[in-house]
Amino acid sequence: MDAECVSLLPGVCEVLAASGRSLPDDTSLEKLLDWFTGLTEAGGSLLDACPCLLDFISTVVHNTASDPGVLSFTLRLTGLTAATEDGFQRLQERSVLNQVFHRQRWQEAGLWEDPCFRIGWIQGLRSMLRHPKALGFFVQSDFIDPLLQLQTDASLFVASAANQMLAHILLFFQPASSPGCNGADEKEEDGDGRTRTTSAEYTSAVAAISEYLKASLVPQKYTKLRQSLQILKLLALLLARAGPPLWDKLLQTVADSLEELVTAGCGQLTLPLMDVILAACSRSGADERVLDQHVLDQRVPDQRVPDQRLSRLLSSMLNVDEPADLVHAAAAFLRRGHHSDIVHTARAVRILLLPLHIVTGQSLLGTNTTADERQSSMVEQLKCKSSCISVICVCLTNTPQITLTPSDSLPCPPQLIVIAVLSLLRICSGSSSSSSSSSSSSSSSPTGCSEVCRNVIGSGKVQKCALEALTALSSSPGAKDAISEVFTVLMQYLDNPDSDATVLHKSYQALVKWMSVSPDLSVVTDPLRRGLEEVVKKRVCDMRWEVRDSTVEFLGHLAGVPVTGTPALLGVRCTTPLLKEALQDTESYVRASAISALAKTLTHSWQQGAALSQEETEIVSRLLEILSQDTEGFPRRAVVRYFISWFSLRSSSSSSSSSSSSASLLTQCVRSVLSQGSADLDWEVKVHTLELAELLLDEAFSGHRGYGKDGAASDRTCTPPTHAEGAESQLAGVVELGVISALLSGLVDCDRPVGLRACRLLVTLRDAVCPPSPDATAAAVATVSCELPGWGWGQEVRKTLGMKGSDIAAEESIGGGGGVNEGGDGASVHVSVCEALTSLGLDERLKVLTRSSDHVHNSPLSLLQDILTASAAHTHPDTQPGQEVIVDCY
Amino acid sequence: MKLLYCLSGHPTLPCNVLKFKSTTIMLDCGLDTTSVLNFLPLPLVHSPRLSKLPSWVSKDGSLNLEKELKECAGRVFVDSQPEFCLPERELLDLSTVDVILVSNYHCMMALPYITEHTGFTGTVYATEPTLTIGRLLMEELVNFMERVPKAQSATCWKNKEIQRMLPGPLKDAVDVWAWKRSYSMPEVNSALSKVQLVGYSQKVELFGAVQVSPLSSGYSLGSSNWIIQSHHEKVSYVSGSSLLTTHPQPMDQSSLKNSDVLILTGLTQMPTANPDGMLGEFCSNLAMTIRAGGNVLVPCYPSGVIYDLLECLYQFIESANLGTTPFYFISPVANSSLEFSQIFAEWLCHNKQSKVYLPEPPFPHAELIQTNKLKHYSSIHGDFSIEFRQPCVVFTGHPSLRFGDVVHFMELWGKSSLNTIIFTEPDFSYLDALAPYQPLAMKCVYCPIDTRLNFHQVSKLLKEVQPVHVVCPEQYTQPPLTQSHRSDLMLELQPPPMPYRRCSVLSLPFRRRYERVYILPELANSLVPSEIKPGVSLATVSAVLHSKDNKHTLQSVPKPPPAPLSKKRKRVLEEPPVLLAPKPLLSGAVPLEAFLATLQKHGITEVKVEETADGHILHLQAEDTLIQLEEDGTHIVCDNNEPLRTTLRDLGEQRESSS
Repeated sequence: MDAECVSLLPGVCEVLAASGRSLPDDTSLEKLLDWFTGLTEAGGSLLDACPCLLDFISTVVHNTASDPGVLSFTLRLTGLTAATEDGFQRLQERSVLNQVFHRQRWQEAGLWEDPCFRIGWIQGLRSMLRHPKALGFFVQSDFIDPLLQLQTDASLFVASAANQMLAHILLFFQPASSPGCNGADEKEEDGDGRTRTTSAEYTSAVAAISEYLKASLVPQKYTKLRQSLQILKLLALLLARAGPPLWDKLLQTVADSLEELVTAGCGQLTLPLMDVILAACSRSGADERVLDQHVLDQRVPDQRVPDQRLSRLLSSMLNVDEPADLVHAAAAFLRRGHHSDIVHTARAVRILLLPLHIVTGQSLLGTNTTADERQSSMVEQLKCKSSCISVICVCLTNTPQITLTPSDSLPCPPQLIVIAVLSLLRICSGSSSSSSSSSSSSSSSPTGCSEVCRNVIGSGKVQKCALEALTALSSSPGAKDAISEVFTVLMQYLDNPDSDATVLHKSYQALVKWMSVSPDLSVVTDPLRRGLEEVVKKRVCDMRWEVRDSTVEFLGHLAGVPVTGTPALLGVRCTTPLLKEALQDTESYVRASAISALAKTLTHSWQQGAALSQEETEIVSRLLEILSQDTEGFPRRAVVRYFISWFSLRSSSSSSSSSSSSASLLTQCVRSVLSQGSADLDWEVKVHTLELAELLLDEAFSGHRGYGKDGAASDRTCTPPTHAEGAESQLAGVVELGVISALLSGLVDCDRPVGLRACRLLVTLRDAVCPPSPDATAAAVATVSCELPGWGWGQEVRKTLGMKGSDIAAEESIGGGGGVNEGGDGASVHVSVCEALTSLGLDERLKVLTRSSDHVHNSPLSLLQDILTASAAHTHPDTQPGQEVIVDCY
Repeated sequence: MKLLYCLSGHPTLPCNVLKFKSTTIMLDCGLDTTSVLNFLPLPLVHSPRLSKLPSWVSKDGSLNLEKELKECAGRVFVDSQPEFCLPERELLDLSTVDVILVSNYHCMMALPYITEHTGFTGTVYATEPTLTIGRLLMEELVNFMERVPKAQSATCWKNKEIQRMLPGPLKDAVDVWAWKRSYSMPEVNSALSKVQLVGYSQKVELFGAVQVSPLSSGYSLGSSNWIIQSHHEKVSYVSGSSLLTTHPQPMDQSSLKNSDVLILTGLTQMPTANPDGMLGEFCSNLAMTIRAGGNVLVPCYPSGVIYDLLECLYQFIESANLGTTPFYFISPVANSSLEFSQIFAEWLCHNKQSKVYLPEPPFPHAELIQTNKLKHYSSIHGDFSIEFRQPCVVFTGHPSLRFGDVVHFMELWGKSSLNTIIFTEPDFSYLDALAPYQPLAMKCVYCPIDTRLNFHQVSKLLKEVQPVHVVCPEQYTQPPLTQSHRSDLMLELQPPPMPYRRCSVLSLPFRRRYERVYILPELANSLVPSEIKPGVSLATVSAVLHSKDNKHTLQSVPKPPPAPLSKKRKRVLEEPPVLLAPKPLLSGAVPLEAFLATLQKHGITEVKVEETADGHILHLQAEDTLIQLEEDGTHIVCDNNEPLRTTLRDLGEQRESSS
C-alpha cells in the first residue's frame, strides 16, 4: 500500500467515526470499500497494513448514534477484515464481532429499519464466511433465522442479497465432491490449501435451511407467492452447483413440496419451478457420470431422490393445464438441451409445435392431432390477441432448436418446420396460407384457424420473430430443400409496401444467410432475380433512410457471399450505379454504408489486381470529395476505411502490371487521405487515418531489424548491409507520402486515443530507423527530414522540440536541402526525422497517454484526500460547504 | 315508421333516403362513375391508334354494331360519350325529399341529376369547402366532357337482346338504360344554388321535427358526418371518415355516442393497403423512374389526396435528389384547387391552422409553386406545351383514364417502358382503366391511397361510440370476394349489423317511446301535483293538445260558452263555490288483504279469491260480480249495477291511495 495513503488513513477513520460530518459524495464509502476489497484480494492482511481500522471499527460500533451509512460501511469492512482466520481472531480478541453483528442491539437502536443497514449486515457476514471459525460464529450466534426472514425482505436488494448469502453458506462449506467425503466431521485440504469442513455447524445450517425450504416452498395463500418465488430461485441456484451429498439432501427434503407445487399449477411459478426441476435433472444425469460406481454403491438407496421421481415432476410440468405456461415450460426445457431425455424432448417439441400447427395448418404433429386434448385449450388461448402473439413468438424462437433435436423426437421432418415458418410469414403479411404454400398444407387446416390467423395478420412482432427464426433455420438439416420457397417469401416481404423498416432489415439478413448456406443459386429463377433487382432499385429510393441504409448494406453483404457456378444474384452492373447514387444520399448513415458497400463490391477486383475502370476512378474522386467536404463524421470515417481496405487488399498482388495505373492513383489518394484525415475534426477519422499510416509503415519497414511489430520474423529475413540504404529511402518515401506529418500531428492531438496511437507508431518507427549508437547508417538516415508547418500541430511539435526562432536556422542546416519558407510566423521548417523522433520524449509521452485521463481522480490517495478536505470544509464554517462537491459532480 | 331507402349499392358513393318523424332526408347522392370504364377514351388530340380500332363483330358475325362497339386487346368498348350510373329513381318519389345532406365533395356528384330532374324542391345542406371543391370537381367533369364533344350517342347496344350477346363486363352491366350522360354547367349552377352552407356542429331544425348537424369526419376538406336527432331518438350517419392526421380537421368521434342507429358507409375501398405504405411506395417508384430518365404520370382528382401527395413529395424531393425535376398539375380547375385549399383555414387540422397565423401558407405546395418546382396548367394546350420538359411528373385527371388530359399522356408515354403510371385513386380498378391502352409498355404501379376508416379502426370506433344498431352496405358484412380467408376484413358486431344493397328498403329497428309536449304556463299553474314518492310528483291534467310544425302544446280547455242565464242558474251561481278537497291520486296496486277487509266491513262477505298470472280475480258471489286486480289495472265487471260499481270503485281507490 502507498505509504502516503497509510499516513492519511487514520485521519480519514477519525472523520468517518465522527458521524455527521459530511462526505465528499455518497459514493466515497463504496469507493473506499472497493479499495479495501482490492487490498484483501491482493493477499495482504488489512489489519496489518492499517492497524487503525481495528480502533475505527470498535469506536463506530459502540456508538449506535452513528450515521447508518457509516455503520453499514463498518459492518462490511468488519466482514472484510474477518475474512481471514487471523483477522477474525484479532477481532474476536477485541470482542468486536459480537458487537458488530448484534442484530437485536441494532434493532433496538432503530437502525435495522434502514435497508442499507440490513444489506451491510448481510454483506459483512458474507465476506466473513470464508473459514470454519466464521461459520461456527455464525451458527452459534443464531443468525440463520434472521437471514431466512430477510429472504422475503421488503427491499428487493436485501432479499436478493439474503438469497445469495444462503446459497453461499451451503455451497462454500459443502464437502468437496470426491470419494469418501460422505462421512460427517471430516476435514481435508483442497487445492488452494483452504480448509473445508463438514462440521456439526455446517450440518445444522443445512438442516435449518432445508427445513425452512421445505416448510415455506408451497405458498399458503396467494400473498406468499413471493416467498415461494425466492425459494425457487435459491433452489435453482443451489441445485445447479451443489455436490452430491448436499444435492441429495436438498432434493430429498423438498421433493414432496415440489410435487405439491407442481400439482397446484400456479402460473406465475411455472418458469422458476421449471428452472429448479431442470437444474435438478441436469445434475442427476451429470452425477452418474462423475462419480465412481463405488460411491454410488455407498449411497443408501432410499435416501436418494430417484430419477423416476424427477422425471415424473418434469412430466407434470410438461402437462400443466394453462397453455401459455405449458409453452413456457416446454421452451425452458428445450433451452436446457436435455436431448438425451427423448421422451420429454418429444413432448416439449410437440407442445411448442402445436401453436404453429394450429395457425399455419401445416401438419407438423402428424395427422392424428385431433385426439390431442390440448389442442382445444390452445386454440382458445390463441384466440386472444395478446397471448396469441406472445405464445407464437416463444414457439418461433425455439424452432431452430427444435430442428436440431434428434429426429426420433421430431413429429415431422425438419423441412416441414421451415415450411410452417414460411407459411406463418405469409399469413402475417395477409396473403393466404393455403393458396400459395406447397404440398400438404391445404388438406389439414384445423378449425379455429382463421380466428387465430386474424390475430397475427400484420403483426410486426410476429414477423420479426419469424424472420429471425427463418434466419437461424438456414442451418437446420434439410433446410436447403426449402430454399426456393424461402426466397419467394422473402421477396414478398421485401416488396411489401407495409413492411416495417426492421422487418425489411431482417428480411435482408435472412436472404444473405440463406444465400451463404447454399452458394449454388441455380434454384433462384429468373423472375425471382429480376424481382429482386426491381425491389432493390425501389428500396434504395425509399422514403425511410433506415430502409435505404439496410438496402445499401445488403448490397455490400451480397458482394461478400461466395457464389459458385451460377451468376451472382445481383451483378455489379446493377449494384454499383445504385451505390454511386447512394453516395449522394441526404442521410449520412446511408452515405457511410454506401461507401463500405462499395469497398466490399470492389474487394474482388482489388485482389485480382484488375485495372481500374472509369467508374471506379469516378468513385474515388467522389470519395475524396466526401472526405474533404462532408459535414458528418460517419461518411468520412467510411472513406478512410475504404482506402485502408483498398490498400491492404491490393498489396498482395502489387506486382501485377495491369495495376500500375491503379497503384499510382492509390498512392495519390493515400497522400490526400493522410493529409485530410489527420486534419479532420472527428477523432475517429484521425484514428482510422493513423491505421492507414500504420499500414504504410508496415509495408515500408516490415523487413527491417528493430521494427517492433514482427521483430522475430524480420530478424531472420533481413540482411544488415541493405539496412541503411533501405531505411533511408523507405523513410524518405513515407515522409513524402505524408505519413510522418500525420503521425506528428496525431501525437499532439488533444484526443487521447489519437495521441496514443500516434505515439506508439512513432516509438515503433524510432526503434526501427534510429539506432541508439550513431554510425554510418544512422548518419544516412539522419539526412531524411520532414516539414513542420509554422502553425497548428507544427508549432506544437516545435515547442516540444524546444525550438525557438533562433534555433530554426540551426535546424535548417541539419535539414539539408530544405530551408525556411519565408513568411514570418507562419513559416515552416524542416527537421531531421530521426532527430525529432529521439528528442520528442516519446517514452514519457507514451506513459502519460497510456494512463486513463481520470487516473489521478480515481486513485485511493485522491479519495482519502477528498474525504479529508470535505470534512475540513465542513468544520470551518467560513468556507462554503458543499461547493467542492458540486464541482466534483461535473 | 323509420325507413331507409337505399338508392345506391356502391358502399363509398352512397345515396340513401331516411324517413324519420315525418321528414324525408336524403343522405348523400354519390355518382357511380365506374360505368365509364365500358367506354372508349376521349382523346384531346386526334389519336390514330384509337380511331383505327376494329369494330366488334360477334363470333358468328350475326351482330355488327360497327358504329357503337370497338375492340381493343380482346375487350369491347362503347364508342360514345361516357355515361354514368345514377342513383335508383324508381324506389320512391324523389320530389318528396325534403333535404339532402352532403357529407363530402365526392358524395355529391349526382346532385344535378336529383335536384334538376326529379321535381325536388327542398334544400341541400353542405359545408363551404364541400360546396366549393364539389363545384370544382363538377366543373372539371363538365369541362372534360364538353371539350371533346361526341355527336354520336350509342344506344343500340343497350337493347336487351343485343346486350345479352355481348362479351365481358358489358353483358353484365345492370340498368344500362338508366345510365346518363354528363350534366351541363347550367344544371350544375342551378343544383348548387340550392345548397345552404352549414358549419361543423351547427344545428339545423327541420320542420321542428328533427335537428340535423354536421360533424367533422377527418376525410377531406369540409367533410362531415351527420347527426339526425329528435328529442328522444338519434340517428348517426357516418360517411367517408378518417382517423389519419392528414390535412383536414380531425374526426369528431364523441358526438356519435349514444346513437340508436348508426348508418355506416364510406369505409376504405382498399382495406389491405395501408396509406403510409402506399405513400412510401408512391415516392420510391417515382424516384426510381425519374432516376432512370423516365416520366411519371399520376392520374388523380384535382383535390384531396393530391394535397397530401404534394406535401409528401415536398419533403421527399430533396432527399431523393429530384430537386430539378418539374412537377406539372394539369386540370381546368388546378389553379382554384391549389388556392382554395390555402384559404379554408378553419377546416384544416390544428397543425395547418396554426400556420395561418404565421406568414406561411398551410400547405407547402405554395412553396413548390413559388420555387417553380410545381407548375399548374388548365390543359395541355397553351403555355404548357412551351414549358414542358422531360423527365417530369404529371398529375392530371381523370383517374378513370377515359377523359381529361390524362388520355393524351397515356397515348404519349404508353409506348416506353422507361415511363411509369402510378395509380393513387382507389375508385377504379387499374387493370380495367388500362384496358383500352393495351398493349402497353409503360410500367404500371398501383398504390391506392385511401385514408378512409379500415375495419380495424371502425370496430374500435364502434366499441367507443356504442350505437344500439348499425346499418351498413352488405359488402361490409363478409370478407372481400378475392380474400375470403381474411375474416379480419369485415364487420363483426353484436347485434349483427343490418346489411343493405341497392334498392333495399329497411325498417330501422327502434321504437319511438316518448314525445316531448309543451305545457302553457297558465295551465301549468293550475296543476296540483302530489308527491307519490320522494322526488316524484303526479298531477292530472285536462287540456287541449295543439300540434303544429311537429310541436305539441297543451293548452287550457276553453271555457264552455256561458249558458243563457236562467233565474235558477243564477241563484246557484250566487252560492259560494264549494272548495272540494282534491281527490287523492291513484297509484300503485290494490293490496289484497286490506281490500278484502274493507269489503267485509262494507258487508260483502262472500268473496272467492282466485290467483291468476297477472294478479287476482275476486268473485263476489252474492253480488254476482267479478273484480280483476292486475298490476296495472283494476276491472270491475258487474251486471248493470252502477251504484255497486261506484261503491266498489271508491273502496278500491281508498285502499289504493293509502297503500
